[in-house]
Amino acid sequence: MNQNHSSSYRLAARDAIESRFARGIAACLTESAQTVAPDVAERLRFAREKALERARDVRDSRSPVGVTASGAAIAGFSQSRWWLRFASVLPLIALVGGLILIQDWQARTQISVAAEVDEALLGDDLPINAYRDPGFSEFLKAPPSE
Amino acid sequence: MATEKELSDFLKSVEKRAWKRAVYAVRDDDAALDIVQDTMIRLAEKYADRPAAELPLLFQRILSNATMDWFRRQKVRNAVVRNFSEFEGAGSSDDFDILETLEALGGPLQSESASDSVSRAQILQMIDAEVALLPARQREAFLLRYWEELDVAETAASMGCSEGSVKTHCSRAVHALAKALKAKGITT
Repeated sequence: MNQNHSSSYRLAARDAIESRFARGIAACLTESAQTVAPDVAERLRFAREKALERARDVRDSRSPVGVTASGAAIAGFSQSRWWLRFASVLPLIALVGGLILIQDWQARTQISVAAEVDEALLGDDLPINAYRDPGFSEFLKAPPSE
Repeated sequence: MATEKELSDFLKSVEKRAWKRAVYAVRDDDAALDIVQDTMIRLAEKYADRPAAELPLLFQRILSNATMDWFRRQKVRNAVVRNFSEFEGAGSSDDFDILETLEALGGPLQSESASDSVSRAQILQMIDAEVALLPARQREAFLLRYWEELDVAETAASMGCSEGSVKTHCSRAVHALAKALKAKGITT
């Protein structure tokens, strides 16, 4: 029991000594770090200012009021800005939809024209094979005789 | 959310230490400046809206990652891994009473017999050099724990290892520094 107490005491004492020594070294490092070359200090200042500028840009882009390119202020929605993305693809969606509708309309027109021709041919008294007969073709081309 | 002033003050307070830490790791002043700049910009871009209290730990993690990225870019990762493995076998065969040395070194650091001739600046330079010589993981743990004043859990989170490993790294670093500084005659 006493041995356990003694060893834990020794460990704690050892930790305390290590910690004290380490903090002494750290203090020396801090002192040493304060004396950096002027050009290094200048570059660090430049880096800091650049980072702050970037942080400002990020904050501005996340601010609650967004202003569109035309100058109109749009309140409330800019938090997620999903609607801006949606608005930018809206014309493209309209264009694709329009093209699909035009294509569909053209296909339907062609089908109805072909159906009319078929209907006329099939509904006529004249058999279809007659149009393949060269003599009948000539007869059709010839001007009607009185 | 940290204000611009809080962020500015924070960056000002850590920039020199961060640069020194990067120099220890990459041993190149210009590369270290690039790493610190990269770290500051990453912090500002991604975490500027976090509370000021969270900035130190985030900054240390980003700095560690930026340093690792630099090593990856330099294709010298093998050298780092070799450094990492050095600490595994170190420290266990010390044949002098480290506790005694630590006790002797526990007070303000001065030069021993040559105290009249060795200036404070030279002592600081020697300490700086000895810290730079530590194996990478030991140095990182030591600097995060005692220089950046993170606690053991924060240091472990920043280094991506267990708290036990942090304690081991720190202890070995302290012993290695104590031994090296004693050998150079720097003591109370």
